Amino acid sequence: MKIYFFRTKNQPIMSWCEGVKGVLLDVTGVLYNSGPTGGAAIEGSIDAIQRLKTSHIPFKLCSNESTETRANFAAKLTKHGFNITSDDIVCPVPAMVDLLKQENLRPHLLVHPDVLPEFASISTENPNCVVMGDCNTHFTYSAMNAAFNTLLSMSPKDRKLYSMGGGKYYKDGDDLVLDVGAYAKALEYACDCKMVVCGKPNKLFYDQAIRLLGVNIEDCVMIGDDIISDVGGAQALGMKGVQVRTGKYRAVFDEPHSEITPDGYVDNLAEAVDLLLSNN
Amino acid sequence: MGRFVPKCVLIDLSGTVHIENSIVAGAARAIDRIRKSGISFRFVTNSSKESVASLFTRLVGLGVNLSPGDLFTSLTATKQYVLRRKCRPMLFLEENAQQDFKDVSVVDPNSVVIGLAPSMFNYEKLTEAFNCLKNAENAELIAINKSRYLQRQHGLVLGGGAFVAALEYSTGLTATVVGKPSRKFFEQSIADFEGVVVEDCIMIGDDVQDDVAGAQAIGMKGILVQTGKYRPGDETKINPAPYLTLPSLVDAIDHVIELHSNGCET
Ligand SMILES: [Mg+2]
Ligand SMILES: [Mg+2]
Repeated sequence: MKIYFFRTKNQPIMSWCEGVKGVLLDVTGVLYNSGPTGGAAIEGSIDAIQRLKTSHIPFKLCSNESTETRANFAAKLTKHGFNITSDDIVCPVPAMVDLLKQENLRPHLLVHPDVLPEFASISTENPNCVVMGDCNTHFTYSAMNAAFNTLLSMSPKDRKLYSMGGGKYYKDGDDLVLDVGAYAKALEYACDCKMVVCGKPNKLFYDQAIRLLGVNIEDCVMIGDDIISDVGGAQALGMKGVQVRTGKYRAVFDEPHSEITPDGYVDNLAEAVDLLLSNN
Repeated sequence: MGRFVPKCVLIDLSGTVHIENSIVAGAARAIDRIRKSGISFRFVTNSSKESVASLFTRLVGLGVNLSPGDLFTSLTATKQYVLRRKCRPMLFLEENAQQDFKDVSVVDPNSVVIGLAPSMFNYEKLTEAFNCLKNAENAELIAINKSRYLQRQHGLVLGGGAFVAALEYSTGLTATVVGKPSRKFFEQSIADFEGVVVEDCIMIGDDVQDDVAGAQAIGMKGILVQTGKYRPGDETKINPAPYLTLPSLVDAIDHVIELHSNGCET
């Protein structure tokens, strides 16, 4: 057995994994890194997922991906070698669909055509809100104007704008591209309303993931590479937040971080799973 | 003492002098009267959809008697700004308006200028602008104006300001706004008039924020006209309230001329 003492200065040894009854995992930067030719699995992560699956600790993959269905996303991970089905994944689209049903909302959809089928059970007639997801090339002036006019037709205090994730930009292969948050900001500014983010780090979104785990929020840990949205977002809701030293992690910015103190740092997902399994 | 005598009047164009391709009733004659009164005047506009030459031709076609020097546009102000700062901008402008930037270098851009460019408000161009701002040293995001939306034949469409907000969010930069309501723009628009200070000026326009509040914030007086984009209740949206709210440019100019001649008599 490996020994993990003295791993980091500020980390009380083995504290974060004590009493953990459920695990949420970020995907990009934790299971795999995206890249020009589809990316690559992070060393040790395929095996770590397998060990987690055969343990008694429930887990969900928690991603802000909104350009593909869970089935396609699962297929992509399977291709990388992960033993993952769509039921293992929580992403904003199904959470958004649940929210629309609960609140009896009829959305104007500004989403990627590939995810439209996931909204098939929702009426979009006479819309009373706007729902945005990452559309990449489908963000056109006319599509933006259509969403804008829908919002403007509502009385100022009733304007409901939901964005599946509020990201500023992301890496698509080698390129940085604008994320959905930018387009949501454009509508926010033009319509004088505030967007509600459905996705990490929003409470509604994490709540849904935790409901699926069937455990109490304080018994959960979120493991991710984004210190703000994954680690800080989880901590703000009463979960533990653990930072991996993979993906977009950068020692100079993230360890220590100016605002957020993770409950623990791990080198990678494999180490996190080692600690979890040897302490539960 | 204390009586206000206007020496200079600034007049908004779209929504105040004309609406799309029709002139506001009586506006042409009112403008002739202000010219004869001896009060300095200038048309100030945030429009960025066409070149200054093309705007001038259009106004003359509508029956407005003016010379090119009577116009001060945010397009002109932006060009001056870009040249002064030695920017090589990626221009979000349609072809017609790009004419005004013919002598500005746009190779290997290190800044982004956003005006009204419907054909460029899309994923590809916005992502290109984002990368330009992210990669260039001391990159600058320049807004010709920050308009939220505008009226087009087929309804309302998003203005450049919406996409400025998008790029501000993703880059973490704060845009430099060149047109109304920026202080600099109002100051530049009266710079040619010797001895005129902001306290001598009245701004007439249909936009309670950009025209009236903007002018009043720097010490001018603002008259809100109830034409163009004016909607009932607009005059209550700003504090301090507009100096005056009047039905149209004709009434506003009558008032300015009256103040001016009263001032000259005493
Ligand atoms: Mg990540
Ligand atoms: Mg106007």
